[in-house]
Amino acid sequence: MKSVQTSQFPAETLEALTPEAPKELQVERRKAADRFTALPWPTAVHEEWRRTDPARFNLTGWSLKPQQRTVTVGWEPLPEAAARQGVILTDLRTALREHPDRVMPHLFQSGKPEQLEKHAALHQALWSDGLFCWVPAGVRVETPLSAWIEPAGTGGRSGAAETDSVIFPHLLVVVEEGAELTWVDERRPGPQPAAPIWINEMTEFFVKRGGTLRAVRLQQWGTGAAELQLQRALLHREACFSNWIMGLGGGITKGNIEAVLSEPAVRAELLGIHLGAGRQHFDIHTLQDHRAPNGFSNLLYKSALSGQAEAVTTGLIRVTPEARKTDAYQANRNLLLNPGAHADSIPMLEIETNEVRCTHGVATGPVDDDQIFYLMSRGLSRPLAQRLIIQGFFEEVLNQIPAESVREQLIGELSSRLDRIDASGEDSGG
Amino acid sequence: MSQPLLEIKNLHVTIEGKPILKGISLTVNRGEVHALMGPNGSGKSTLSNVLMGHPKYTVTQGTILFQGEDYTALSTDARARAGIFLAFQYPTAIPGVSVANFVRTAMKARFGEAFEAKSFRKSFKGALEALGISENFATRYVNDGFSGGEKKRHEVLQMTLLKPRLAILDETDSGLDIDALKTVSEGINRLRGPELGILLITHYQRILDYVQPDKIHVLKEGQIVRSGGKELALELEKTGYKPYETEAAEAHAAGAKGVLG
Ligand SMILES: Nc1ncnc2c1ncn2[C@@H]1O[C@H](COP(=O)(O)OP(=O)(O)O)[C@@H](O)[C@H]1O
Ligand SMILES: [Mg+2]
Repeated sequence: MKSVQTSQFPAETLEALTPEAPKELQVERRKAADRFTALPWPTAVHEEWRRTDPARFNLTGWSLKPQQRTVTVGWEPLPEAAARQGVILTDLRTALREHPDRVMPHLFQSGKPEQLEKHAALHQALWSDGLFCWVPAGVRVETPLSAWIEPAGTGGRSGAAETDSVIFPHLLVVVEEGAELTWVDERRPGPQPAAPIWINEMTEFFVKRGGTLRAVRLQQWGTGAAELQLQRALLHREACFSNWIMGLGGGITKGNIEAVLSEPAVRAELLGIHLGAGRQHFDIHTLQDHRAPNGFSNLLYKSALSGQAEAVTTGLIRVTPEARKTDAYQANRNLLLNPGAHADSIPMLEIETNEVRCTHGVATGPVDDDQIFYLMSRGLSRPLAQRLIIQGFFEEVLNQIPAESVREQLIGELSSRLDRIDASGEDSGG
Repeated sequence: MSQPLLEIKNLHVTIEGKPILKGISLTVNRGEVHALMGPNGSGKSTLSNVLMGHPKYTVTQGTILFQGEDYTALSTDARARAGIFLAFQYPTAIPGVSVANFVRTAMKARFGEAFEAKSFRKSFKGALEALGISENFATRYVNDGFSGGEKKRHEVLQMTLLKPRLAILDETDSGLDIDALKTVSEGINRLRGPELGILLITHYQRILDYVQPDKIHVLKEGQIVRSGGKELALELEKTGYKPYETEAAEAHAAGAKGVLG
């Protein structure tokens, strides 16, 4: 007998999250809430949770009271030229009010993420704040646009409230036909970086026919953050998508990054950097989903880990029978700066057609003693030598960022993160 | 009386428990060029690495004095900052780190407060030109995909800019064609002066035609078996290392011949 599930969220509570949303969105919220309630919490027997304790994300014993902590979103003012050309950059709720015709065809329309189903359902039930960017067909945005998200303070309520802080930010970026955009979205630590916070975030990218999107995610959550990061890019015919994930912050990350090459001749570059110290833990699943012919995708994820930090990188290349003449590559390299640090790489291939070129490569190892000696023989202290090696290790990813200003910003952020690691002695934890 | 720049006293060194240097004593004064010659495997690179403080080698006996201070246990970076420089026989690649960034960082470490960031570009460019290195070198990654000659020039480039007090050149001449050898030798000669001491390690006497040594030492099986003036180089040119080859090496060579013939 099929058991009837009743959602634990009253409809009014859900609708109050975004009162401005059209009716159909509220209906979807309720459906998602029902899905969430019906699905079991994942356990360690699930393949995707074998290397990250699901209890960290299961909110066990936690009563869901949405909106316990709010999200602050911000962005650099839109350049005048872009505004004139009709580019939209605003917070998601304003966008729902003012541009429902642009938002509604895309919001939650990139398809269901293949992993983290229950958490994704929870996100769709409870999302409230976020960002929206839309570039009209044929418009080339010259300067990079940047935006950020941060947890707001707990508003004076201390103690118990902090232990169950939770936020559900949503980002939606749409590049219409033939348009072009360089986009940087940053996650900031907020006013209480060490306070425990649970983040369940979703990002949706749409690149329409012949469009180009270069998207950088700069993750600098506070040390108390446990984040679930869902990102899905739906790529149409001849779209060009490049993605840089810069994972610098947070305590624990469970990520699922998907690029769907849904139509022919798409190009996707997926690049990632994770810099972990102390007990930071990154567990990232990636999917290069080739569903149409003549697609190209290339993934390169690199982690440098000190202290007792861990990185798990699971990369799936899937090529459906339709996706003839596919080129798909993935590589994962990890630099272990300390014997206590740990990295796992799990490449996976699901190839259902013959005409493909696929490679995957994995390498994990400690810092090369000869490199350290060479640099120290030029007067560099050991920590400085190590830092230069780390920066060099990431260079291959950073030097592909076409916008000089963005590249410099990221190199700067990387460098100040390394400063903080050095200062805190986090890297000698093992 | 002026203090010697470098004084090596009865130095014994092992690697992984295996004795390599067996009682080396050598004094280099300011302004002097000492050539250290010897067959492959005699311990030349071991000595240069030990002088630089390589952690893989263990000094079991003896001392290294630099400007009168005991440097035997000092860390590699502190030695470098004090003015000891090693031009590596096999320089290591550091992918992703540009030559300019590397050299600038090294100069900052060596000169501290005195390093003038503003004049870096100029002195860097000048040093490149003097060594016949093209300007795009600045953005290439340290020793990554360098030819043998480029690696050696890069070592001399660093030596030029880091202005050492003691320069140890480990087979900087090996693998260079005659033009490159001349350029590199000129680079070395430009640095010669009353303050700098040079330990010029070489397998061939060829470089000694360009860089005139004050003294020559011959290393065999971890010991200095002969020391003398320039004339020793000419003698070695005639006789080769034959009289200095290790018995083991001879036996090996004879064995190989036997198999082939
Ligand atoms: N890392 C090492 N491990 C073991 N033996 C070594 C190592 N490095 C050098 N040796 C040995 O030490 C001896 C001297 O080597 P080296 O100093 O490189 O000689 P040279 O530079 O004169 O050719 C050789 O017998 C060599 O095999
Ligand atoms: Mg040698």
